[in-house]
Amino acid sequence: MKLLVGYTADQRGAEAIELASALVAGTRDASLRIAIVLPAATPFNAVYPGGDHGFSSILSDQVDRWAAQALALVPEGIATSVVARSVPSVAEGLIGLGEEFGAHGIVLGGRKRHRAGFFSPGAIANALLHSSPMAVFMSSPASLATLRAAGGKITRLTAFVGDRPGAREVIGLSARIAAACGLPLRVATLVSHMDLADPRLELDDHLAQTRSYLQELTGSLGLEAVVEVVSGRGLDEAAAQLSWQDGDLALLGSARLAAPRRLFIGPKAQRILGQLNVPMGVVPTLEAAS
Amino acid sequence: MSHDLRQASPPARSESGLHEKGLSKGTVGVLGLVVIGISCIAPAYTLTAGLGATVAEVGTSLPAILLAGFLPMLLVALGYRELNSAMPDSGTSFTWATRAFGPMIGWMGGWGLIAATVIVLSNLAAVAVDFFYILIAQLTGQPWIAELTGNLWVNIPTTLVFIAVAAWISYRGMNATKVFQYVLVGFQVAVLLLFAVMALTSSQPNDPTPITWQMFNPAGIDTFSAFAAGISLSIFVFWGWDVTLTMNEETTDPKKVPGRGATWTVLVIIALYLAVSLGVIYWAGVGTTGLGAGNPENQESIFAVLSGPVMGPLAMLMSLAILSSSAASLQSTMVSPARTLLAMGYYKALPSSFAKISARFMSPSVATFASAAAAAVFYVVTRLLSENALWDTITALGLMICFYYGLTALACVWYFRGELFSNARNFFCKFLAPLAGGVVLLVMFFATAIESMNPDYGSGSNIGGVGMVFILGVGVLLLGVGIMLWMRVRHPAFFKGETIKTYKLLK
Repeated sequence: MKLLVGYTADQRGAEAIELASALVAGTRDASLRIAIVLPAATPFNAVYPGGDHGFSSILSDQVDRWAAQALALVPEGIATSVVARSVPSVAEGLIGLGEEFGAHGIVLGGRKRHRAGFFSPGAIANALLHSSPMAVFMSSPASLATLRAAGGKITRLTAFVGDRPGAREVIGLSARIAAACGLPLRVATLVSHMDLADPRLELDDHLAQTRSYLQELTGSLGLEAVVEVVSGRGLDEAAAQLSWQDGDLALLGSARLAAPRRLFIGPKAQRILGQLNVPMGVVPTLEAAS
Repeated sequence: MSHDLRQASPPARSESGLHEKGLSKGTVGVLGLVVIGISCIAPAYTLTAGLGATVAEVGTSLPAILLAGFLPMLLVALGYRELNSAMPDSGTSFTWATRAFGPMIGWMGGWGLIAATVIVLSNLAAVAVDFFYILIAQLTGQPWIAELTGNLWVNIPTTLVFIAVAAWISYRGMNATKVFQYVLVGFQVAVLLLFAVMALTSSQPNDPTPITWQMFNPAGIDTFSAFAAGISLSIFVFWGWDVTLTMNEETTDPKKVPGRGATWTVLVIIALYLAVSLGVIYWAGVGTTGLGAGNPENQESIFAVLSGPVMGPLAMLMSLAILSSSAASLQSTMVSPARTLLAMGYYKALPSSFAKISARFMSPSVATFASAAAAAVFYVVTRLLSENALWDTITALGLMICFYYGLTALACVWYFRGELFSNARNFFCKFLAPLAGGVVLLVMFFATAIESMNPDYGSGSNIGGVGMVFILGVGVLLLGVGIMLWMRVRHPAFFKGETIKTYKLLK
């Protein structure tokens, strides 16, 4: 597996490399490309007085030192290269570099931010989550702690799916990733009571139906996967019902209104992201959803 | 020998070929360059800040001194362009002067540039704040709001907020776009022309002063000291123009565009300045009372006083033009001292913490906030010490520009000393022009510095009988000498020539 790491020379960047190394470890053609993106200088933002002031060569020297530090963070056995480029927009630049590299995904280190109670990814992650043609993986310090507790190895994939047609896509893709990494797969669905007209009457039926639908689906794909359907009054409460183990990686699918081969994270997935304390990935759909 | 000029002092090109420069190659045409030039000059700001002080020195000879002030700027800029193309990567007065004259003078060249930009930052912020309150007063029809800027308890905190916001934006590396610059520049030029037309066609001028050819004659200025002060102020109003000459790779045709862009920029700017200054003289006169442009009350910010009576309700446009131009300049100028501080930190001429670059925003971090803090401190000190802080800072700024410009021009002559007479072009661009420009500016510097010791100089503020302008200008330079000596003792590497090699002529 080939991954592009969006790197900044700080704790986040180190965390991104840690997650990326864990993801590619043991896969075929395991390789990383560490991307350092710089803002493009526009002539309409002329620096006066004095112009460049030697800034670009000092910056270039600094970037070389950051590149060397980044390479030292990657464990042995993973082919790693570094690329630095000035780009007009960080997200677009990362996508461009990822496509050039033929990457399967982009990895970012991040921090959880809460705005008015809602989880929101950083601006760059957010832009990627709404436009990337490849998977986007994200970590936070808390989620990396669970990975470290498992000795830096991913131990299980958990694919989040809805009870609607898109599920097949996400399960299929997750299964391919699980197979590539030699990992067990768990399929999880969250049911919010608020989505049901009358939870007291419908809940048990709905849960049973969903469970059998997913078991049928994984069966038809020839997968051995654990299926978990959990419910709560809202998505947050439902998500809290799931149990996690050290080394878990969560995978979510793109919203159904995403363009084919592009990420577009839906409001549900965004809500779930905010609840998770394990590293996570968001995968694009390969074909237009019906 | 030309090979040897590019010594290995700037950081070696990255071995890995990692870093591709973000220069947008070949996108700027002549019009774009004119827009960039005018935005760096920020005419709405320079006129309101500089016109009054210049009238105070030269009276009705204002047009003449503006024309004369451009000449040394042009001569020095020619030398600048040569240094810039010989050492494109290493940047600016600090490194250039170090290579030519060695570490001590180089250090002071860098300090002069930092001091000039820090002073202009504090002045930009102050002008922006003045017009911020004036604009609010005009929009709400509540004249008392415009008076708020005279209250130090309101003025100083607001100015600090403006400086902090500009530093933050500059640290985050946010860029002004092409459209933004075109709109900003177009609006500024249009409003200034409107002011000039309304002043010249006014049916009730304050003190109708006939326009005569004598106003264009530099020889008509009474004293040499008035001439010197006038020149150093008019250097300030053209400050920014030389950016057009240093842009090469960014233009669509590096052979033609920079020259044409620079010419058009200066023509547009001179036309604009002449129109506005003639408008001011015709309408307000140079009288020292009431609305006269020579009234010390009106020196600080000429448009704050005149735009209302001249333009009526349209004065709002002038306030907006000055506010936008000074606020935009505040943000873009912040980058300059930050980068020089960064370079000085990098080459160990200052503590190396100044060389820190933000990993997230790829901009100088310590250096940006140090520049903002210096501008803030400078503003607060001047505001508290001087009754006419803006006027005195502009005069001190003119002094500082003359110092670092003059020094850099002479650095050009000395740096190229081995090839000055090899052809006619070298003789003119590397020798004659920068030498003449540099000498004129340094003479202006010393003349103004000596003159400014007089307690009556400039606004007339003084401390213990020494003029405020002298204390600000020379005091800041002496502070630099002190810091330099301290650095020399504590961290001698730069001063031993270990980080930047002084260029030695090969025989």
